[in-house]
Amino acid sequence: MATRTDPAAPALEAKSLAKSFGAFQALRGVDVTIGAGEVVALLGENGSGKSTLVKILSGYHEPEPGGELRLNGVDVPLPVALSRARTIGLAFVYQDLGLAADLLVVENLFVGHRATSGLRFAAPINWPAERARARQIFERYEVDLDPSAQVGRLRPTSQALLAIVRAAEELREYRQQNEESGGVLVLDEPTVFLPEHEKVFLFDLVRRVTEAGIGVLFVSHDISAVREIAHRAAVLRDGEKVGDVVVEDVSDADLIELVSGHRMDRAAIERAASHGSDTALDAGGDVALSVRDVRGGRVRGMSFALHAGEILGIAGLLGAGSEDLPYLLFGDIAGSSGEITIGDWRGDVSDLSPSKSIRRGMALVPADRKQQGAVSNLPVSLNMLSLSLRSFMQGGVLRLDKLLATANDRAVTYDVRPPDASLNLAALSGGNQQKVVLARWLEQSPKVLLLHEPTQGVDVATRQQIYELMRLRAAEGAAILWVTTDFDELATMAQRILLCAGGVIAGTMAPPYSRDRITSEVYSTTARGARVAA
Amino acid sequence: MSTEPAAPVARSSLRRSFARIFSARTFEASLLPIAFAVLIAGFGFARPDTFFQWTNFTTIFGLNAVGLVLVMALLVPLTNGDLDLSVAENSGLVSILVGWLNVNHGWGIVPSILAGLVVGLVCGIVNGWIVVQFDVNPFIITLATGSVMDGIAFWLPNQQTVPGISTQLTDWTVIRHLFGIPLDFWYGVVIMLIMWYVLTFTAFGQRALFVGQSREVARLSGFKVGSMRFTGFVIAGLIASISGIINDGVLGSATPGAGNLLLAVYAAVFLGMTTIQPGRFNAIGAGLSVFFLAVGVNGMNLLGAQTYVQSLFYGGILVIAVVASRLINRRRAASAARAAT
Repeated sequence: MATRTDPAAPALEAKSLAKSFGAFQALRGVDVTIGAGEVVALLGENGSGKSTLVKILSGYHEPEPGGELRLNGVDVPLPVALSRARTIGLAFVYQDLGLAADLLVVENLFVGHRATSGLRFAAPINWPAERARARQIFERYEVDLDPSAQVGRLRPTSQALLAIVRAAEELREYRQQNEESGGVLVLDEPTVFLPEHEKVFLFDLVRRVTEAGIGVLFVSHDISAVREIAHRAAVLRDGEKVGDVVVEDVSDADLIELVSGHRMDRAAIERAASHGSDTALDAGGDVALSVRDVRGGRVRGMSFALHAGEILGIAGLLGAGSEDLPYLLFGDIAGSSGEITIGDWRGDVSDLSPSKSIRRGMALVPADRKQQGAVSNLPVSLNMLSLSLRSFMQGGVLRLDKLLATANDRAVTYDVRPPDASLNLAALSGGNQQKVVLARWLEQSPKVLLLHEPTQGVDVATRQQIYELMRLRAAEGAAILWVTTDFDELATMAQRILLCAGGVIAGTMAPPYSRDRITSEVYSTTARGARVAA
Repeated sequence: MSTEPAAPVARSSLRRSFARIFSARTFEASLLPIAFAVLIAGFGFARPDTFFQWTNFTTIFGLNAVGLVLVMALLVPLTNGDLDLSVAENSGLVSILVGWLNVNHGWGIVPSILAGLVVGLVCGIVNGWIVVQFDVNPFIITLATGSVMDGIAFWLPNQQTVPGISTQLTDWTVIRHLFGIPLDFWYGVVIMLIMWYVLTFTAFGQRALFVGQSREVARLSGFKVGSMRFTGFVIAGLIASISGIINDGVLGSATPGAGNLLLAVYAAVFLGMTTIQPGRFNAIGAGLSVFFLAVGVNGMNLLGAQTYVQSLFYGGILVIAVVASRLINRRRAASAARAAT
């Protein structure tokens, strides 16, 4: 490929990248520069525009006209052509790593190199030579990986290392064709699910990759990780770049302030750290659900009590364990140990199952509506009332007419539009589908409602309706556990907020609640937790 | 207050109900019945003296009760999202077993039948247990268990046909008639109505829809997904064994490996998905399709076609039926997406 590359040019230079979704401006003209061999962290809370920026680079989003992108001194026309990343010097490693778990390390490593056309397509693969080549590559990056191992059996950290090595190799090839210049590796939150003490292997690898001159864009929530490997940090808030700082020159508090827009005083940080339990701010009232030292999934020992009529917020970043908590309490993720009390029932968390939980008056609204919440090609009526079928049995016959009539009633009550329950769920907008999911659980009059990201992908108007609905239910005595990374929502809805980091409840947050304050406390709690663990 | 606007309202509601009756959905649902009518008219026109005779139809009804019953075996597993490929071999094994006990071992016909039902049930239990307990692909497991059943069916009578099964059984299947049609047809109709009831008018059937569409949603709804899938295989085993017993009555003998119905019943069940309740596996549509296929084969035979035409016909229809039901669902998803925006 004949490209004229400027050796002095930065590895990546993006100017005025912008993206709107309808009236919502996700990204408002952001500039980013990454020098050769430089690690630039991209910081920002959920919804700040980080993933929109990454998706513009990967070609998934078409940016608004006026944006510019230069890689290694070469202008790249926007939108970036999908699947052309490798030829322009970009490589991505996402949180899910993109590895085939059933295949071997060596197969995963070279899968992108296989010829798919021409005569070489049929050429035999010399596996011993391929394994030797893989071993050489791992030696070069000083990574301890067995080419013959099955990827699915590797530790998560080793899998992440493999994914990064694979991406780095792509970039090395790009550099060989471009006079040993350029190449940008985008790491999109690769550390969230890794154990704290193993992250150091990943940092070492990233350093080795940059020594060769490759630039890295490190997208993360993890301030301690950013401090460990990034030279500079670009901070986004509400779609704008609010800071571009040299990491060495700033404190954690400075970074958190940039991310959250909230200045936290030292005393507040100390106070947050001292709250070890939830006793400080007890809501009072009957306990509807209490847990003691529950473990399972990424939850590594949590204790708290949820009271009737209370909306309890759980604030944590992805990977903090909060994302597993509702499923653990509902019996969907197998619990390993811990005691749980639901109303009058007390037992071990390993003894839970969804059907038992439902019988005990629990309800779970999962974050993944498409996979777990409802079935899109069944009618609204069935989706709404599938938990209550028994009450529509009359003389051994399921009264489909009554079921439909009741569902139509509920559609009006919950303002589902269009209010025709015979339509397939797929015919409704995301917000209306979510109302159906809520209606189906509220039909059971649950005593405990577990909500996980209940307004994800829901329009603003519906969001307000859902808030109103939940306030009403709480006022009627339902206990609501609200787990979300939308801290604006928590500030609006939660009467009490627990901070979650590293799989434990790290503290209770004192009111007043605002998005900025919650963000700031969550980030500092997470960073502190990471330091302690490392 | 005034009566003036009444007329346009009436007209628009008339147009709406007209549109509803002749909607794309109704059109889809009536394709198969229309094709059926065309088929009968066509053969009737071509062979009025052989095809278009009541005795020809009663023969078709009597001979195809085996397929009618067997197709009902597939419905619950398919609604659950499971394939059971062993139903035809199950039916064949039970048919051999009943004849073998009755003829070779001198058992009475009633105990023989009961033993056949038990064995069919056990086959279903084994399928369900393996699939659910070890969380393995039912496609490959039932393919394998079907082969085992087939092997046993050859082994029991030493690879010989078992002739001379009790005439009582024949009497109660094809000799006796009700409304001019052999009894076995009515057995099939009863089982069809039961399956229709189970799938449409019971909580079990409606939950099965969720299990088939999304195991995740079903599990989080507290449905016992494993035991529902197990039950599906058990029901399939039991109904398949009934079809094997009816086969003995129709033929008066049992031949190992004779007449593999698997492709025909799968063609019928997918073809049935295009009618009555389009997009869903449904009992009435499946039953109708069995006779659509049977009439097609019968008519072609009367036109002088060779037996291999059956294979061509069943295979071709299965491909068309699967593609058609796929297109129906895709069109519906597209119109749903249009409605959502």
